[in-house]
Amino acid sequence: MNYSEDRGAWYLLTGIIVGAVLGIVYTRYFQPVRYVDTSPAALRQDFKDQYRSLIAASYLANGDLVRASARLDLLQDSDTFRALTEQAQRALARDGATTEARSLGLLAIALGQAAPGPGQAITQASRLPTVTAALSTPSNLNNTDQGNSTLTVHQQDTQTIPESPELPVTTPNGIPETPLSAESFVMISMSEACDLPLSAPIIQVEVSDRSGNPAPGVLVIVTWVGGEERFFTGLKSEKGLGYADFTLNPEFVYSLRINENGSPLGNISAVRCTSDSGEPYWGAVLLKFGLQ
Amino acid sequence: MARWFRFFIAIIFGLGLGLVYGWIINPVLSVDISPDTLRIDYKTDYVLMVAEAFQEEQDLPMAIRRLAVLGNIAPVQSVDQAIEFAQKSGYIEPDIGRMQTLLSALQNLPSQQGGGP
Repeated sequence: MNYSEDRGAWYLLTGIIVGAVLGIVYTRYFQPVRYVDTSPAALRQDFKDQYRSLIAASYLANGDLVRASARLDLLQDSDTFRALTEQAQRALARDGATTEARSLGLLAIALGQAAPGPGQAITQASRLPTVTAALSTPSNLNNTDQGNSTLTVHQQDTQTIPESPELPVTTPNGIPETPLSAESFVMISMSEACDLPLSAPIIQVEVSDRSGNPAPGVLVIVTWVGGEERFFTGLKSEKGLGYADFTLNPEFVYSLRINENGSPLGNISAVRCTSDSGEPYWGAVLLKFGLQ
Repeated sequence: MARWFRFFIAIIFGLGLGLVYGWIINPVLSVDISPDTLRIDYKTDYVLMVAEAFQEEQDLPMAIRRLAVLGNIAPVQSVDQAIEFAQKSGYIEPDIGRMQTLLSALQNLPSQQGGGP
């Protein structure tokens, strides 16, 4: 009698388990939840990259950093600056110094310069459900000429730009109207820096414009036998807007040039330094470039 | 016979539990989706970004490629829907103007390639 009752209970449990497994399999493989009305944060990684590129292209067009920041917040990257710089480097490696790489780099630089105060307001706005309506407001500031394709030129009238009459025309957020990629930079100095012991040898590049101000967004190309690396100045904004560095392999000799049309500077190799106590450590090759 | 019936009921019950678990409690993660599922306000902002970039680049094929990810509809339709939403939601005129500029450029294409079947 007891045996029969126990047996009945077990096979009911078996039925439930079998049914549950079938149900889960069905919801996973045959009829998964169809998502509608999603947010950019849920996009697949390649679509997120595409979205980020579009934000940068849009920023390059309108110079509206508030709007660009709010849009980037929608992607919910753990580190927006890093996501931008990494994507810029990937774009450089893949396609060379394209508009995409440049716009991503310039947006990263602009974000690096941005003060934290406005950023907090931006974050708050982007979390609102009616985010696009919130985003629309800032462009009132700089769209005095609707539909004009040379929008950024007019922004000079309403925004303060750094005092540098010899600079190319810039937007309020530092986007060069005449790209510095078209300029021919010359080397001002080359020195070895041993002031700080480094775990690996590096090249440090500092690029300045005609006024001596740091020049962000300038393409630096490092080549060696069997390889090439491209990066922009200003992506490590904490070290200066005209700064960039590159880690060297001590076994290689490198060549470096600024922009595609720059003259290559060869025979660059790792700097070995020695401390007072005789301990060897790695130093840096410091290269300064400017416009004449 | 009653035993088989109870077994069948148990399976149905388990199936219900499985469906609730798979659709409500623990659905498939939503981090692998395409832009065509974006909510209408995000889609509109996406179209606005395309329009802003187009205003600067004047590269219509690029704009069309960017709009193509918004689903299996013609780019003209995507922009049209975005303008409609923007007008309802009180977007500022310059933004609507940019989207209308893009729409005009798309409509003036020699032969419009529809995305629908």
